Amino acid sequence: MKKEIRKVLIANRGVPAVRIMHTCRDRRIATTAVYSTPDRLAHHVYMADSAVHIGEAPPAKSYLNIGKIIEAAHTSKADAIHPGWGFLSENHQFAQAVLDEGFIWVGPPPDVIKILGDKIQAKKIAKNASVPIIPGISSVTDVKDIREWMEKDAVTFPIIIKAAAGGGGKGMVRVDSKRELVNAFNQAQSEALKSFGDKRVMAEKYIEHGRHIEVQIVGDIYGSVIHLFERECTLQRRHQKIIEEAPAPSLRADLRREICFAAVRLMRAVKYVSAGTVEFIFDALNNEFYFLEVNTRLQVEHGITELITGLDIVGMMLDIAMGKELHVKQSDIRPNRWALEVRLNAENPNNFSPSFGKITRLLVPQGPGVRIASGVYEGADIPPYYDSLIMLLITAGVNRNDAIRVMDRALGRNLRVEGVKTLAPLLLAIIRHPAFAAGELSTRFIETHMDELIAAFRYNYSEDEVLKVANYVAEVSALGPQKWM
Amino acid sequence: MARKNGCEEKMIDRAFVRPGMSAHEIVQKVRESKEVFLTSTAMRDAGQSDYKNRLRIHDLLTLAPLYNEMGLFSAECHGGARWHVGIMNRKENPFEEVRLLRQAMPDVLLQTLVRETSLWGYRPYPPNVVKYAVSRVDIDVWRCFSFLNDVRNMRTVAEVVMDKRKLFEPTISFTDASWTTDRYYLGVIDEIVALCGGTSDIILCIKDMAGVGTTKRIGILIDAIKQRYPELVIEYHRHMTDGLALPAYLAAAKAGAKIFDVEEDSLVRFYGEPPMLSVEAYFEEAGIHVHLNREVAEEAVLKVREWIGNYEWAESPFKGFDHTVTYHRMPGGAFPSSFEQASKGGFLELMPAILKVMSLYNQIVHYFDVTPGSQITWVTCSGVVNKYAKEKGSAGVKHLIGLLVKFVIDREQSFESMDREEQDELLMFFRNASEDFRNLILGQYGQLPNGWPADWVYKSAFGDAWQEKIKTRNDLSPVELLKEDDLDKLRAGLEEAIGRNATDEEFVLFLMHPKDAVEHIQWREKYGEAPLVLPTSIWREGLKKPGDKVEFDFWGKPYCIELASIGAEHDGVVQVVILVNNKTKVYAVQTPHAKKEDKRMAKGINDVPSPVNGTVWRIGNPKRGTLQVGDIVHKGEEMANVEAMKMENVISAPFAGQVREICIKPNELVQEGQLLFVIDKRVGDTEQGMLRDDS
Repeated sequence: MKKEIRKVLIANRGVPAVRIMHTCRDRRIATTAVYSTPDRLAHHVYMADSAVHIGEAPPAKSYLNIGKIIEAAHTSKADAIHPGWGFLSENHQFAQAVLDEGFIWVGPPPDVIKILGDKIQAKKIAKNASVPIIPGISSVTDVKDIREWMEKDAVTFPIIIKAAAGGGGKGMVRVDSKRELVNAFNQAQSEALKSFGDKRVMAEKYIEHGRHIEVQIVGDIYGSVIHLFERECTLQRRHQKIIEEAPAPSLRADLRREICFAAVRLMRAVKYVSAGTVEFIFDALNNEFYFLEVNTRLQVEHGITELITGLDIVGMMLDIAMGKELHVKQSDIRPNRWALEVRLNAENPNNFSPSFGKITRLLVPQGPGVRIASGVYEGADIPPYYDSLIMLLITAGVNRNDAIRVMDRALGRNLRVEGVKTLAPLLLAIIRHPAFAAGELSTRFIETHMDELIAAFRYNYSEDEVLKVANYVAEVSALGPQKWM
Repeated sequence: MARKNGCEEKMIDRAFVRPGMSAHEIVQKVRESKEVFLTSTAMRDAGQSDYKNRLRIHDLLTLAPLYNEMGLFSAECHGGARWHVGIMNRKENPFEEVRLLRQAMPDVLLQTLVRETSLWGYRPYPPNVVKYAVSRVDIDVWRCFSFLNDVRNMRTVAEVVMDKRKLFEPTISFTDASWTTDRYYLGVIDEIVALCGGTSDIILCIKDMAGVGTTKRIGILIDAIKQRYPELVIEYHRHMTDGLALPAYLAAAKAGAKIFDVEEDSLVRFYGEPPMLSVEAYFEEAGIHVHLNREVAEEAVLKVREWIGNYEWAESPFKGFDHTVTYHRMPGGAFPSSFEQASKGGFLELMPAILKVMSLYNQIVHYFDVTPGSQITWVTCSGVVNKYAKEKGSAGVKHLIGLLVKFVIDREQSFESMDREEQDELLMFFRNASEDFRNLILGQYGQLPNGWPADWVYKSAFGDAWQEKIKTRNDLSPVELLKEDDLDKLRAGLEEAIGRNATDEEFVLFLMHPKDAVEHIQWREKYGEAPLVLPTSIWREGLKKPGDKVEFDFWGKPYCIELASIGAEHDGVVQVVILVNNKTKVYAVQTPHAKKEDKRMAKGINDVPSPVNGTVWRIGNPKRGTLQVGDIVHKGEEMANVEAMKMENVISAPFAGQVREICIKPNELVQEGQLLFVIDKRVGDTEQGMLRDDS
């Protein structure tokens, strides 16, 4: 049942859309971009072979608008749809609609998305596949249930409340004390409703100093499921990853094997097809890992796995969608690099407040060992409606130090973004922090070290300073001698 | 080096004194030398006296390498009004000036001018502020004067400076009045010598800031001092306002003064210090050898010509020597700025009358016209003259002068001898005087040098309360009188104003000039090092036409800023296209017509700010519904929710209170720090129970 893909509609914007278009170009597959009104001149629109307007700025009217996207696929004569990450990527109804309309869906089957997307179901499957899970309570609709569960199972704070139907950190709230419980519950419920249209939440024991380790999986329609090894994504801010690396530092070889096999076991159990990721929380103190969730889509940080394995995961997704068999066996996968990724978000590095506006200057890092996935260009506008990610910087080296060294060069000497604030100073401060160099990672790394990190920001680059001088020259040239002189 | 006027060849030890030497060693070297020495005031007082302190460090730095070779005793480059004008007008920070000069002339003693307890500000500071500031400034020679010659006020500065083994240069303010006798000055100097533990570690300065010392007077005074203290090294600081500076210098040198203040001849106008080449030649001809590498000094004179033309706009509108300075005694440093103020205030034509009133006023209240005294004199006298001019025109001004002449000259200040009506008028003379004047006559600055003014002055200043006020007058020095400031609290105030931690240097700026320091820091955050790198013509006028460019080296790399175009004005905004190292930047410059559309930011403790940029998608919370003005909120209660890039941020009430103002509408885009709510902490008694914070 092999099918040919000649044109892919990418139901996304920014970095993921551009990333997918790169592989499509490699494969001589034409691409269609979709765009909302403020994205009319966005980078992904420029990169595509054709583009279709799908609605107004709010995501619900555009990038989450299933009807419009399907219609765009018809009008642009695409034969396949790739959802990227975020937006509709884990929406089984969308996947089903794509198939029902006769398009090829570049992703796992809708029923697999559905079952794994429900965290409660996913936990059950994990349990049945002998994958360890964290103590928790599912399907909570009232804060009382959480109180009772905590009492009954003798669970102590901190706990975490999250959307039952979610992912990507949206609708996830950490609770440290009884006092915060009600507000946290309400917030999680409201965010869950807003992000996923489902207000059910679940609660779990929060593993202190837990590390996030995930395993990249690929499966074909013939039942082959292999892993492409793990990634460490422990460094987060507000439950969203900002630095990822592969392999995971300080994971012992036997544990690495175990965690990868556990992931494969779970994914085989659901007959997983396409690329997906099994996330674990790793209790480094006790050398134990627990299943967290499955992301049934391409992940932001897939690039580091590509760099250490030499594979193109988007390419594999396309092959699988076309009904091809996996062209590699598990034994062929031999990582031989260390890769590091940072997420360059348009945010104030002091407090993560989003920074939108026009990118008035963009110099993209280059040089040995650097891979850039950018969703923007010089002159682009960053609208306030969407995710703040503007660029992924990925570096590779023969070992961890090497990859960090290249990243230091990319962030510290090469990158330049003017017009909006980015996390670059924070990212640089993190990779230069001695605890990071020593591999002492935790999900609270940023909170714990925030003061030190901010203190390490370097603001005074001559390039920035000279712009201030130019600003002065502009004003005095336009206005003439000033009264205060 | 061959001397053109036939003197024998002499070698100049360019660094006979240099930073790092102890005060004792420096004083000894000067005392034992047969030569006299020069302090260049080009970098401070020259600019203050003739260019309203606008000479920029960018230009002055061109002299520094020459100073390093010239054999100067010191370079006065810091303090006085240069400090304040630097922050306000030149946008230069006095700390960075010192750093730049140190680097460019490492072998030259850097000198400051401080106003005893008011340091570089205008009010007396308590000793802890003085200590904090003085100990953070990298200066070798501390010239310290008191406008009252109240030596007690110098104590704190003297202690910190001498503790650091830096050179303390106590300074007597000089003028020529009936009461400023040799006896008077020797009394002041006795106190100085006692304060400094002898004469071996100090240099005494005679500050003739108005330039009124006659040849005869100055020779006699210095002779008298040398007779009492033969070992004391004396520096004579003199302005040229009366046109007779050079002969006075020679008289001083013959009487035993060792150091003289000079500036480049090409910098000299009318109210600053004498020209260095002229002084050198005049002294040499008289057989007094000057420690100066004349060849290098000539180079410096030429160097000044390269940039001094850019400062014509800063010169005093009133040009030429003024021998009547011997009456009105306005100091050289205040000359151009008072004329500037008169010009700005539209009363330039009243200047002769004001100067006349000053010459009479200074016989009624005795102190020295130098900061902050000169400001008090200026504000008082220009205020009264303006009042008369406004109310009664030029006839009124003439009448005022007549009245004062009659009282001061004819009646020798016998208040009772004046007519009843005249008495009443005199009693109104100080009625509108400034707070500073009132503080002055109540002893807040220290003791007046020739006793307190007559009772009628108090009646005039304070009205019926005058006797009460006189009782509060005290004889203590501010050093003893002032309560220590809470430095931590002040610093917190600064840090709140600038929104970040302040450096010690920024804090010193703030201690001296709180409002101007904050503005300065904010200005520099916006415009960076523009004041340091731009040549003066560009600094003042900008780039004139497309293609004009300014090139400079910045932090070790070359930069070029080129003007591409200036657009037409639309809605108060002009688009300016600039090429920075060939890359285009567009700046939207707001003209004075621009509509101010500032978002209100949270400032006070009752203000609730937005923590992020985002959209307010809900006001209130699901439990209580929307919030209204007047509602009572509990501490920690959710007041609004701001969504930013799909993350929700709860805005909780910081404390229990009543909502006084809701500053946003639903779905409004807000920026970080923008004011969302104002809450009144004050709550009614009935709500107390339910408002208790039970956390």
